[in-house]
Amino acid sequence: MSDTDSFAQILRRGLWHENPGLVQLLGLCPLLAVSNTLVNGLGLGLATILVICATNVLVSACRRWLHDDFRLPVFVLIIATFVTSVELLCRAFWFDLHLALGIFLPLIVTNCVILGRAEAFASRQRVSAALADGLAHGLGFAAVLIALGGLRELVGQGSLLAGAELLFGPVGRGWSLELVPQSGGLLLAALPPGAFIGLAVLIAARNALTRRRANAGRVTAAAADS
Amino acid sequence: MPLTTGSAPFWRTPDTVPVIMRHVLYALVPAIIASVWFFGIGIVYNLIVAVVTALVTEAIALRLRGRPAGPGLADYSAIVTAVLLAMCLPPLTAWWVTATGACFAVAVAKHLYGGLGFNLFNPAMAGYVAVLVSFPDALSGWPAPNIGDLDAPIPGSGATLWFTLTGQLPGDLSLDAITRATPLDTVKTELGMMRTMDEIGTNPLFGDFGGRGWEWIANFVALGGGWLLIRRIIRWQTPVAMLVTLAGMAAVGYLFDPARLPGPGFHLFSSGTMLCAFFIATDPVTGAATNRGKLIVGAAIGALTYVIRTWGSYADGIAFAVLLVNMAVPLIDRYTRPRVYGRPPRSQQ
Amino acid sequence: MNASSGFNARPPRPAWGIRPPPNKDLSLAQPIRTMPPPMRVVIPVDQCLGLAAAPLVTVGQSVAVSQPIAAAGSTSGTAGPCVHASISGIVTGLERRPVAGRDTTDRLCVLVDGDGRDETLAADDNPVEPLPVSPDDICAQIAAAGIVGLGGALFSTAAKLGSGRPIDTLIINGAECEPYITCDEILMRTRAMHVLRGVRIMQHALGATQTVIAVESNMPEARAAIFDAIEAAGHDDMHVCVVTAKYPAGGERQLTELIMGREVPEYGLPADIGIVCHNVGTAAAVADLFDRGRPLISRIVTVTGHGVADPGNFEVRIGTPIRDLLAFAGRHDEPAGRIIMGGPMMGWALPGDSLPVTKATNCLIVMQPGDIVPDAPEMPCIRCGECVIACPARLLPQELLIAARRHDMDGLQALGIDACIECGCCDYVCPSQIRLTDRLIAAKAAHAQHVAGLRHAMQAQQRSDARTARLAAQRHAEAADLDRQLDNTDDADAIDAIMARVRDKETHATESKDEQVDD
Repeated sequence: MSDTDSFAQILRRGLWHENPGLVQLLGLCPLLAVSNTLVNGLGLGLATILVICATNVLVSACRRWLHDDFRLPVFVLIIATFVTSVELLCRAFWFDLHLALGIFLPLIVTNCVILGRAEAFASRQRVSAALADGLAHGLGFAAVLIALGGLRELVGQGSLLAGAELLFGPVGRGWSLELVPQSGGLLLAALPPGAFIGLAVLIAARNALTRRRANAGRVTAAAADS
Repeated sequence: MPLTTGSAPFWRTPDTVPVIMRHVLYALVPAIIASVWFFGIGIVYNLIVAVVTALVTEAIALRLRGRPAGPGLADYSAIVTAVLLAMCLPPLTAWWVTATGACFAVAVAKHLYGGLGFNLFNPAMAGYVAVLVSFPDALSGWPAPNIGDLDAPIPGSGATLWFTLTGQLPGDLSLDAITRATPLDTVKTELGMMRTMDEIGTNPLFGDFGGRGWEWIANFVALGGGWLLIRRIIRWQTPVAMLVTLAGMAAVGYLFDPARLPGPGFHLFSSGTMLCAFFIATDPVTGAATNRGKLIVGAAIGALTYVIRTWGSYADGIAFAVLLVNMAVPLIDRYTRPRVYGRPPRSQQ
Repeated sequence: MNASSGFNARPPRPAWGIRPPPNKDLSLAQPIRTMPPPMRVVIPVDQCLGLAAAPLVTVGQSVAVSQPIAAAGSTSGTAGPCVHASISGIVTGLERRPVAGRDTTDRLCVLVDGDGRDETLAADDNPVEPLPVSPDDICAQIAAAGIVGLGGALFSTAAKLGSGRPIDTLIINGAECEPYITCDEILMRTRAMHVLRGVRIMQHALGATQTVIAVESNMPEARAAIFDAIEAAGHDDMHVCVVTAKYPAGGERQLTELIMGREVPEYGLPADIGIVCHNVGTAAAVADLFDRGRPLISRIVTVTGHGVADPGNFEVRIGTPIRDLLAFAGRHDEPAGRIIMGGPMMGWALPGDSLPVTKATNCLIVMQPGDIVPDAPEMPCIRCGECVIACPARLLPQELLIAARRHDMDGLQALGIDACIECGCCDYVCPSQIRLTDRLIAAKAAHAQHVAGLRHAMQAQQRSDARTARLAAQRHAEAADLDRQLDNTDDADAIDAIMARVRDKETHATESKDEQVDD
């Protein structure tokens, strides 16, 4: 991890190679608990992106003055400040979503992805790079939340984007799709075990994809050799 | 012509995995016939849906895992899983419910763990639980048993087929008119309404021990299980330990509070107790390997079943009990290792 | 029964083991028949477990029946068992020929062409008189007569009798538990008195206070014959004990546990708990020696299976080509599908019928092609635990298999791989048709190699530690010496000189140490 990392490299790392949800398996508690519908996942994902970007920028900006002995409390203080701001914003403008996300919005404070990026990246890098890293990891985490939320909503309730109005206002009411009309859906997916099974399926899919790509690379290399 | 070589032993038991699985299927035939007699043709449709789904899923899973499908399908294990699952489902079950359970059982509970021999959880029970938590309403209503003096009619084969295919009954039949809660559900609900066991027992659903019809199916399941014991396909430790523990706990509870706790007869002959004891808890893959381990597994399933039935939120706890004990099996196997011949006892090592 | 004898008059029914179809009636229909000496014999030189032997004859030399042709190396002073010519004639070759075993390989054999006269040495064929009294003399004669364990193990009988350990019980193993084999049973049925004479001598050599003759519950005639013989001879310190007919009840360790209620230690011998176990056939061979002056030149072989017209038990000269024996037993013309030496559970499938009968050949099963069940493809282990229940050593074969696949040597050790007696029970009962015996034998060998490596490393470490300690002690002594010298010296110059000398020496020592390290 050097200063010369390009923006694209940072982005690729956060979204794929070091994806917090699928590779580092960080922040599993909110990931599993809030991913029961796509909209919930999207809401928590956006909030997390906001917090992680702001935290990274501020931590990076103050890194000169942060002494090793007290850096962790300061990180937590910064994170808590932004989380509180986001929560208050949410309460002001998206109250129904706030109710749906419940305790997991304030609990973003304890999401170790954020603390991890602050510690491992932002406290050592330029502000621009820290912003890019925050964005990349936030997006990576949000992507997993959205994918898992969508998967569980689809299987568990047979719908997609149900309750979009919570996030997007009355416009979103028309967006929700009833893909399998009036079926109960496979309730298992919406229940906590479904979160574990769904996440496992996503991790497995990612691993399979990575392995296939590596194999393809090896085959190409072998072909080039011969 | 050269002589055939090879290495000892030159003999092997004829009871191979496919033979064992086939015997298990034969042993279930009397219970299936009894079920058709008491609850109508529905179970046959369930069996067909479950078996077809399980075989298709097995073939796809084997293909995805890069294994030849032939031997995997020929070992009958997927069929046994499907049949056990179908026997747990109500005779009136929509096909997608059965198919979901069978697919989950084979794909998730069996092949995601590595296929035959590597699954931690009993596939049939895992599939049943997946369906139970996913479609709680679909699994609560059974037809009233065909005893004669109960007012509810058994739906005919056509109506049952229609229900299996569409999830709805044709014409003027209503689901509420022909289904009843299971005896265990009834006991749980009525006890919740502060009735005593004596009052509940006057319900025409109840027979000598458990539910009417149910107790007879249990007898036929036990008959098949007894045959498996005699054929030495299963060992006695697990079923005996399970039934004795369940009956013992029920007897203690009954002596303590006969008004609110059903007696051992009811526990033994209700729902799937017998099916579990002889066909599910004895699953070799997810059971204990040692004799002492088999005793512990059986006793643990019996105890957990009683606990969940009595104090849990689900009326029947067998599936959950089996899955919970499945998790403990590796540990049980580890602590019941026999002392190797010629080694001093562990205390002296 | 003697109260202090401490054996189970009614041995417990074992929970382990299997009950394969016994198929013993096939070869029990007729009494023992003696096969005439063959025209040619091929006698392996090595016929004693763990003792290499050297030939005593040269090509072209003429030999008589019972003439020693090879002698095994000696252990602890007593000579190892000899090998004798089983027919009279001329040595035509000392060649490497295939000899049956787990891995049938070429071994040095003495080839003798018979002269048809069957002449014996003049001194032989008479009872040994007077009977030797001292156990050492008995053992020496037994070794010279080439008597080894005829149950198939080929362990030196003399070494077992003369171990010098205190022995209280002699077990005579007539529990012939493998299917098909009846050579011990027919011996007990028809020559019980003869067997007892051998047993008597062995008991005397051991100084054992009692003898227990074990038979299986499915051989009542043999039990009755032995019982009557004991009554007739009036041996009140000999007992007959009936064990459940279950394979492998006749395994040495299993039999000891069943009869004595005591277990042989994992890495020990029955002698460690005061017990010695001998085969019925071995006892008969001892009787042959002392009654008739005959060394071990023949043995009883069960020839059975659907591939021979006239199955039964035959007294056969050692070294007889199997082809000749099968012809004598009326082998069917059609090609045999498989010939097994030993039983179907632990025997060896022979690559051809030209191999010789050895002292280990207790049985030949000739199977027709239709009798052979081809190996089914292995399926995954379903963890049913049948192998655990069947294992007579109380092992967990399914877990041993996992440890073996992982090359987990510590796991194999913890699970007790060395207690495996390779009986094949786990293999037999496995519904997934996993070739457990082969795998476990391979794992056992790999584990033994691993342990030998460890022992080697440990010895090297010990030597190195000892050297370090020795050097340290030496330095310590020198320092003490120096102190004494310093104490006794007042002269400052002298002290400086000594110190300089010491520094010199230390530098030198360091240098030489460095060199050593470099080496």
